[in-house]
Amino acid sequence: MRRSVGGRRPLGHGRSLGTIAAALLLTVMLPALSAAGLSVSDQTGRTLTLPAPPRRIVSLVPSVTEILFAIGAQDVLVGVTDFCDYPPEARKKPSVGGMVAPSLETIVALKPDLVVATSAGNGEAVLTQLDRLRIAVYAVNPTHLNDVFDLIARLGALTGRETEATRLSTGLSVRVTAVAKRVAALPRPRVLYVLWPDPLIVPARGALVSELLVLAGAASVTAEGGDGYPRYSLEAAVVGSPEVIILASHGHGQGPMAREKWERFSALPAVASGRIYSVSGDLLHRYGPRVVDGLEQLARLIHPVGP
Amino acid sequence: MTRLLAALAALALATAALAVGALFVGSAPLSGRAVVAVLTGRGTATPVDEVVVLSLRLPRIAAALLAGGALAVAGVGFQGLTRNPLAEPSVLGVSSGAAFGVVLAQVFGLRAGPLEALGLTAFAFAGAFVAGSAVYLIAAGAGGLPVHTLVLAGVIVGIFFSSAITVLISIVDFDRLGGVVHWLLGNLAPLPPPALGVFGLVTALGFWLVLGQSRRLNLLALGDEGALQLGVDAERVKRRAFAGAALLTAAAVAFAGPIGFVGLIVPHALRMTLGPDNRTLVPSAFLGGGLFLLAADTLARTLIVPAELPVGVITAFCGAPFFVYLLRSRSARIAP
Repeated sequence: MRRSVGGRRPLGHGRSLGTIAAALLLTVMLPALSAAGLSVSDQTGRTLTLPAPPRRIVSLVPSVTEILFAIGAQDVLVGVTDFCDYPPEARKKPSVGGMVAPSLETIVALKPDLVVATSAGNGEAVLTQLDRLRIAVYAVNPTHLNDVFDLIARLGALTGRETEATRLSTGLSVRVTAVAKRVAALPRPRVLYVLWPDPLIVPARGALVSELLVLAGAASVTAEGGDGYPRYSLEAAVVGSPEVIILASHGHGQGPMAREKWERFSALPAVASGRIYSVSGDLLHRYGPRVVDGLEQLARLIHPVGP
Repeated sequence: MTRLLAALAALALATAALAVGALFVGSAPLSGRAVVAVLTGRGTATPVDEVVVLSLRLPRIAAALLAGGALAVAGVGFQGLTRNPLAEPSVLGVSSGAAFGVVLAQVFGLRAGPLEALGLTAFAFAGAFVAGSAVYLIAAGAGGLPVHTLVLAGVIVGIFFSSAITVLISIVDFDRLGGVVHWLLGNLAPLPPPALGVFGLVTALGFWLVLGQSRRLNLLALGDEGALQLGVDAERVKRRAFAGAALLTAAAVAFAGPIGFVGLIVPHALRMTLGPDNRTLVPSAFLGGGLFLLAADTLARTLIVPAELPVGVITAFCGAPFFVYLLRSRSARIAP
C-alpha cells in the first residue's frame, strides 16, 4: 500500500502518449560534468551538484527501486524501504523503514551519496531533514504514465545505464501502444475502479489510474469527480451505473477487497453480470515498469474478447 | 404524562420528517420523482435509483437513527448513575474502550456477517465495560464521584485506549486495518440488513435496561443514602444502568464508530426543555439522539459532494463548544 494514494496529487502537465518517443530520444538530463562536479536537475526541477556519479543510492520510493533493478543498476542500491517488495531481491537490501517516516539514522549509516525521494509519499519533513544533514536528495514526483518513462530515462542517466533504460522504455511503450490499438475501436464500458473500499477512494482527474483506464478502453465513472484520488461517496459512485467494477488489492492480495460490499447491489449492471474483478494495486498505483503489466490486465478484464 | 406524550410525539414527527427528507438528498443527482417512484413502486425507477435509495440511503438513515438514539440514551444513563452532567460515552473514555474492542476484533478478522456482527458487539461491550470500570475505580473517592475527577479519569482512560489502538494499527499489517483510521472519526455507512438487525436488537436491549432503571435513577439523584431510605439499592441500580449504557455505547461504536458528544448535547438540550425526570428523558433522548445524528450525517454526506465528511467531525464541532458551556455554567454549582 502506498500511503500517498489518499492524498491529492497536483495536476501535471498533460503530455500525450505520442510524446513518449520524443522523451526517450531526448534523454533530457544528460549530466553536465564540470569542474565543480556533476550538475543534475531532478524531476521537480531542483538542481543538485554531485561530486561524482552516485555509487551508493538509497531509494525511498518503491517504483524507483523497481526501475533500478529493471535497468540492472541494483548494485548501486544500498538501501530501500519496507514497501520496496519488488523484485523479490529488493527485500534483501537493507531497509530504512517506512515511506512516511524512514529512519534518518539508518539512512546516514548507509553512507549514501544520493537519496531518491518523492514529495508525494515521503512527506516534506523527510526531504527537509535530509537536506539539513547535507545528504543529496534527488526528488521525483511522477503523476502521469509519461513520467514513468521520464523516470526510467533519468535513473538510467544517473547510473550510467542509458542503453538499458532506453531498451526498457522502448519495450514498454510498444506494449502500451499495442493495448491502446487493440481497444481503440471497441465500445467503452462504464467502469468503477475502487482504489480503497472504506473510505471509498477512487481515481479522478489527473490520476494515473484514470489515464490507464482510458488507455485500457474504459469509461471511468469517477473520471470527473475531483482531482487525483479523492474520497468519494458510495452513491456518487453507484449512480454512474458501472458495467464493470474493479477492486484494487494491496500487499500480496490480502488487502481489503470488500467484494461482498458491492455484491449486495445486485441491481447494478456490473453485479448482475458478475463483472467484479480484482487487480493488484501494486501494479497500477506505482510508477514503475510493472504499470504496463497492470494496463494489460485492465484491458483484458475490460475487453476479454476482441481483436 | 401528557407532557411526555406530547414531547415524544413531536420528536417522533420531526424525526420521521427528517428521515423522509434525507431520502431525497445525497451526492447522486436523483430527481425527487425518481425517489418517489422507488418508494411507491410506481413510475419509472431505474435499477440504479433503487440501489441508491433502498440499499444506500435507507440503511444509512436507519443506522444514524439507531446510533444517535443509542449514544444519547447512554449519555442519560451515565449522567444519571454518576450524578455528573458531563458524563458521556466519549468523555468517559467508554467509547475508546469499545473502539479498542472493535479494532481487536478486526485484527482477529471479524467483519460484517450476522454472527460476526454479534462478535463485534461482544468485543465492543467488553472494551466499554473494562474502560467504564476503570474510570469508576480511578475516580471513586470517599464522597462519591467528583465532577472533575471523573472527567479527568475519563480522559486518561480514553487516551490509554486510543494509544492501544495506535499500537494495534502499528503492529498489524496496514492493509488489514487501513480503514480503521477513518472509522475512528465516526463513520456511518449503509449497513447490510443482518448487521442492521443485530444493531437494532442490541440497542433495544440496552434501551430496555436503562429505561427500567429510569425511576430509580431519579431517586439516585438524592444521593446513595437518600435513595436507600426510599428502598432503592443504589449499587444495583448503578450496575444495571451501567450495563445498559455500556451496551448502547458498544452497539453504536461497533456499527458506526466512536462518534462523540451525542450523549452530551441531546440529553442536556432535552433536560432544558423537558426537565430532569429520567422517565421522560430516556425515551425522548432515544428519538432526539436519532434526530440529531441524522441531521449531522445528512450534512456530512452533502457538504462536500461528491466526497463525504466523517459524521464525528460534525458532532465534535457542535459538541466541543457545548462541553465548554456546560463546564463553565454548571461545574461551579455541582463540583464539591
